[in-house]
Amino acid sequence: MRTTELLCAFFLLCATGGILAFLAPQRRLPLVLAVVGSLAAAVLLVVSGILLVSAAEFHAALWPLLNLGTLKVGVDHLSAFFLFVTALVYLPVSIFSGAYLEKYLNHYSLRHLSALYHALFASIVLVLMANDVISFLVAWEFMSIASYLLVNYEFERPESSRAGYVMLAMSEGGTIAVAIAFILIAVAAGSLDFATMQSSTLGLSGPLRTAIFLLSFFGFAVKAGLVPLNSWLPLAHPVAPTNVSALLSAVIVNLGIYGIVRVNLDLAPTTGAAHGLFVLVVGSISALIGILYATIQTEMKRLLAHSTIENMGIVTAGIGAAMVFVAMGHQVVGAIALIAALYHLANHSVYKALLFLGTGAVEGGTGTRDLDLLGGINRHMPWTSGFFLVGVLSIAALPPFNGFVSEWLTLQTVLRSAELASTPIKIAFAICGALLALTAGLAVTCFVKVFAMGFLGLPRSTGAEKATEAGLGVRAPLAILAALCILLGLLPTYVIPVIDRAAAPLTHARATGALVPPFFVSNTPQQDQLPPAFLSEFHDLGAMVGRGFVPGRGLVVLHRGEERNPVIFAMSTSYMTAGFVFILGAIFVVFRALTRYRRLTRGPTWDGGLRKLTPAVTYTATGFSNPVRVIFDAVLRPAASEESTEAIAGHFRVAIKREYTEVHIIDRFILQPPINALRTLAMLARRMQVGHVNAYAAYVLIAILVVLIVGVSAF
Amino acid sequence: MATLDRLGDTVDTAHGIAERSRELWHGRVLATANDASRLCLLACGRDDLSGICQWLTRDLDFSFATLIVEELAQGEWSLVYVFYKGAASPSVHVTLHLGVGASSVPSLVGLVHGPSFDWHEREAEDLFGLRFEGHPRLGEFVLHEDWPEGINPMRRNFNGKERFGPRTREPEWDPQTVVAAVGAFTMPIGPVFSDFAESAHFLLETVGEDVIRTIPRFFYKYRGVEKIAEGQMADRALLLAERFSGIAAFAHGLAFCQAVETICGVSVPPRARALRTALAELERLRSHAAVITGICNSTALVVAASQAALIEESLIRLSCDITGHRYLFGAVALGGVSFDLGDEDCSRLTNRTAEVAERLRDLFHMLRYSSSFLDRLEEVGIVAESYARSYGLVGPIARASGVARDVRKLFPYAAYDSVEFSVSLEHEGDGYARLRVLFEEAAQSAAIIRRVLSLPPAGPVGVGHVPLRAGAALAAVEAPMGAAFHWLRLDGDGSVVRYHVTPPSFANWHGFHIAAENFAFQDFPIILASFGLSNAECDR
Amino acid sequence: MANWVFKGLRTGIKSSAYPAEHDEACGVSPGRPIGTSLKSPAAVEELVTRCPTQAIEHANGGIAIEYGRCVHCFRCKRGLDDAATWQQGFEWAAFEGESPPEKLARIFGRSLHVRFVDAGACGACMSEARQINNPYYNMHRLGIFTTPTPRNADVLLVAGPISDAMRLPLRKTYDAMPTPKRVVAIGTCAASGGIFSPSFAAAGGVADIIPVDVIVPGCPPPPLAILHGLLLVVEKKPASTLTSLPPRTEHA
Repeated sequence: MRTTELLCAFFLLCATGGILAFLAPQRRLPLVLAVVGSLAAAVLLVVSGILLVSAAEFHAALWPLLNLGTLKVGVDHLSAFFLFVTALVYLPVSIFSGAYLEKYLNHYSLRHLSALYHALFASIVLVLMANDVISFLVAWEFMSIASYLLVNYEFERPESSRAGYVMLAMSEGGTIAVAIAFILIAVAAGSLDFATMQSSTLGLSGPLRTAIFLLSFFGFAVKAGLVPLNSWLPLAHPVAPTNVSALLSAVIVNLGIYGIVRVNLDLAPTTGAAHGLFVLVVGSISALIGILYATIQTEMKRLLAHSTIENMGIVTAGIGAAMVFVAMGHQVVGAIALIAALYHLANHSVYKALLFLGTGAVEGGTGTRDLDLLGGINRHMPWTSGFFLVGVLSIAALPPFNGFVSEWLTLQTVLRSAELASTPIKIAFAICGALLALTAGLAVTCFVKVFAMGFLGLPRSTGAEKATEAGLGVRAPLAILAALCILLGLLPTYVIPVIDRAAAPLTHARATGALVPPFFVSNTPQQDQLPPAFLSEFHDLGAMVGRGFVPGRGLVVLHRGEERNPVIFAMSTSYMTAGFVFILGAIFVVFRALTRYRRLTRGPTWDGGLRKLTPAVTYTATGFSNPVRVIFDAVLRPAASEESTEAIAGHFRVAIKREYTEVHIIDRFILQPPINALRTLAMLARRMQVGHVNAYAAYVLIAILVVLIVGVSAF
Repeated sequence: MATLDRLGDTVDTAHGIAERSRELWHGRVLATANDASRLCLLACGRDDLSGICQWLTRDLDFSFATLIVEELAQGEWSLVYVFYKGAASPSVHVTLHLGVGASSVPSLVGLVHGPSFDWHEREAEDLFGLRFEGHPRLGEFVLHEDWPEGINPMRRNFNGKERFGPRTREPEWDPQTVVAAVGAFTMPIGPVFSDFAESAHFLLETVGEDVIRTIPRFFYKYRGVEKIAEGQMADRALLLAERFSGIAAFAHGLAFCQAVETICGVSVPPRARALRTALAELERLRSHAAVITGICNSTALVVAASQAALIEESLIRLSCDITGHRYLFGAVALGGVSFDLGDEDCSRLTNRTAEVAERLRDLFHMLRYSSSFLDRLEEVGIVAESYARSYGLVGPIARASGVARDVRKLFPYAAYDSVEFSVSLEHEGDGYARLRVLFEEAAQSAAIIRRVLSLPPAGPVGVGHVPLRAGAALAAVEAPMGAAFHWLRLDGDGSVVRYHVTPPSFANWHGFHIAAENFAFQDFPIILASFGLSNAECDR
Repeated sequence: MANWVFKGLRTGIKSSAYPAEHDEACGVSPGRPIGTSLKSPAAVEELVTRCPTQAIEHANGGIAIEYGRCVHCFRCKRGLDDAATWQQGFEWAAFEGESPPEKLARIFGRSLHVRFVDAGACGACMSEARQINNPYYNMHRLGIFTTPTPRNADVLLVAGPISDAMRLPLRKTYDAMPTPKRVVAIGTCAASGGIFSPSFAAAGGVADIIPVDVIVPGCPPPPLAILHGLLLVVEKKPASTLTSLPPRTEHA
């Protein structure tokens, strides 16, 4: 079959990249990496695309292991979807790397980086292709270590080492939990094979199922960066090379989600609502905490890392909702929720990669990533700013960009909880919906800040003042990703049926008919199935006029309901855009007509009559987000110190120094207490070590006495 | 300086202070005292200046009023530091004489009440070119960056009538900021505001939300009134005294006239004194109503602002009705007032102000129960009593911070010695305390008008011709926003040799930054309104 | 806060009927002296000498008033047997220069946006300018509004003798306004520099810095006079009929 050859070609390309990393001359390595990496990504894009849209699946047995069954790889529709997203990100990131890595020449050896880059790619693909526990865990471990080494690439910087250490420690903890969970499933199923597990785990008992759920969720949540296991993300992203940061946020965190979906909806489907609710709540809280911390950041990569926590939270909430709906017997709504989650995952990968690469371009042009030091670079970097703006609008979930579509779907699906019977579940859904809505609002604040403070206004540093536009090698991948953001936003009716193929086997229901019914397309068998009440709902809007020439299932995304209420929600980014364009065009035309005989004059910014405006008077990113800091003071709990120096007698303040430090709420409440307790214990133990022989003799004596007393009393 | 004893300093008479200062400084201080006119004059050398001022402010609890700088002939200088305290205490003038060639003076900003000297020294530095040793923040103050270096407009050899040549050079202006914090920035406000506001500039240093430091920049409206007055005849200079601050025209005109009258030894007839008191209180009532309007406006309580504006306008109309001018211009004259009020006018003034007092009481009653309004004022813009003292704040703002300082009681002028009234006092020092003081004082003003006009003394309203003669005098009045000190030296022909004004806004603007710091941006306009200060008055 | 609503309603309408009718309420204007030719030479001499700002001049055997210098000191009115004739009223605004500038009623007629700049005004002009917003005068009923930025302003209201530090801000404000624009100088100080100029610290009125279209004399001009100045810009009211010189017919 052709897929086999293509997959072989992919792995061969990865291997070639790895070998060339040690053979090619250093200064050629960026080019080699870009060419080989993007070729591999292109091959993967083709093969995963084929597997995603065709009915066939790919399965291959590799070699057998003693007593442990056979190592197997395979690509079902879910894997194909994740592979496709991975390839979609890897392609532009590889192109970007070619230009980006130049800066490391003469500083660090590029050989290891190149080799690891390809190794990581291959291991990610292997994780997604693994069809048995052993190959999954091995690939997973390879992926973890490769990503750790890449994050720690600038190993001379102390913060890199620390970030890498935290990342590796948390990742290994997660791997152990995942391994135990898989072993529990395997024991219950009597096989290490995924295929066998799928068919035999339905009868898992309650406590065992919960243990599997908690262990696997813990392990995968580490990778997905969900609260409270998110500490590594904001540490790792800023220190990693920018192309690796993009991969971390746009590809590797997805694997955590893949794990959660694979275990809980495929290998060992849940039977009650509890697990799904747990996932939903964790996801919603992650979303809020993620965006809260993102809003108060000024370092762009750290901000984006916190925002990754937020987006993974939204995806996880969608999956949690899907688990609940499926477990409660609402298969179609469950499928919609899963589609929303996967759609958001794909969107997040695209725009987050765009924003990370954009950040790399900004850093390359100005030398800084600190929003407080940027400003006004839209004049010097028009292309980068334009592409970045697309990413900002997408992540802020503003229509008609892709983030809007999937967040809208997620929120609307959460609202569908009204159809559930249980009141406590409804209340939980309502609270999570509120958290997600608050998250969406804060996301707008956060990313308005990023663009307004970073790209508009007056430059606040010489770097920003002398910014230079990025080269073609950087702008091209940005353009690709920006185009994807727009396409994924404008054409959801084409995307949803494809994702449905990946989701349907897990939820045992197809949602295409409920989400994007082909009601404009006449003469199709489905047309007759649409109820007349539903069609009449759109009749007044002139839907029948579009019959026959409107492509893409009418370009309308909606939630279909019962006969009584045929259309619950409906939305179309395409028509919205057409409307926008029309209105803006009309305004432009009218404006031009009215001002035909007027002269347009441009003046400087009104400065209140001051002699001049200085960059010091422009709002900073910190200043912009300070109201959020004040409102959420109870959560953020900044430790503030003010130190003021006076020239004379407490009156003439000549210097005021203010410092804020925020310890992440999770670190403060969940990680710090045990660490502190351990420290205290260690300090107590240290007291015993006084350095006198007499004291040690006394310890021995006391120990012997204790043993004796215990021994005597035992008998 | 070395032998300051802090015990037994209960001296509170002019003679007592003179006696004690002679003892403490072993005769190096030349002291003269006059218990009848409650005045104690101390003359000292450079080295003893800060010791004496420290003794007066820290040990005897005197407050600094004003610094009078005079350039004598032959490049000599006389600096008079004026101190005042309570109704029973004398005022103390500490004179420092600088010989030829000396132009540096020890700065007093390091003392207990140091801040109250701050702006006076900066002003003298800018206008006279004196150097104040040890002052940490001399530099641009009255004269802005485009004024040529080294030219001091108040010097005798500077011709104040001539226009200065065009200053074409684009000057550097780079305000110094002191806040070091992540994301700190400055927010400029003014000098051209978005509403009918006076020209001034504020640079707020912040990291967003809270104002960490306020850097005010005033004297955009500096018209050199004190310089212009030089050489003018007293009755012409009265126009300047009235018109440099139109909203307190009567108070400043009155202070000027009192200075002239003191110099010329004129005693004002009782009826004129009564009318002066009534008109001064009418002005205070109108000014307070205007500040209340401003406060209501700043909190966007539209109906209340309209109500207060109606009250304000009705008082302006009443002023015009009684005196012919909406802002009482031309009402006060040397030796009295410029017109008489008939019985009918008196009763109309009494009745109408009583009516206004009634309306103000209703307004206050409603404001008191408007929680949205109080939320914006209470515990906002706090000036602690210690600051009010050390900055030498005056008027309603000082009285809202627990400093009962009122010139009408301290040095009664016009007919204030014969009317009973109490000094309104609040202690919180926040915006609401200032508002309450304004309302209380407005009510009192109406009451004072009623008392002085119920049985006004008969007789002339002026002395007719004032025989002008050479001399100098200091006059103090309680202008609507606080104590105003006018010091005047006349020549033998009645022309002004030197005129110095310390208006209340000058003292109070200095303290404004305390109130504005550590509060949110959105409170800034409210704090500004609750201070109710005038830049025209401050800048002169 | 329903109380406030009732309070507002109970207060009723207080707005002046001007410009539809003349406002003759007590205290809306201090009035001003008018030129006259029917005076004894001694009285004329006395008036000219008494005027501290040289606003009263000899003319045709009587007196003429230069309103750009009059500061309402009442010294030509009080304590004199043959006092200057005093005229109430407030329609004092006049065009600077001989003829009114090009017509603007079509553009500004229904909505006039005003930017105020304080260029060293004493508080009185400030206060009067503020009063045109109070319920008695209520500029909004005439389609007059203030704008927070000069970018949206049609008219620049300037008060004060233009202190040196305000020259640059005034110039910048004027430059920031889009054309067509009008400058209305309010108050004697803005008209001529008043009692503060000529001096080292203040120019001799607005015209020294930027072109002026309408002058509203008065110290301070009452709110209705300022409104008259603004209505003059939109041609809803004619300019002041009182020129500084006495009418010739009266003399004959």
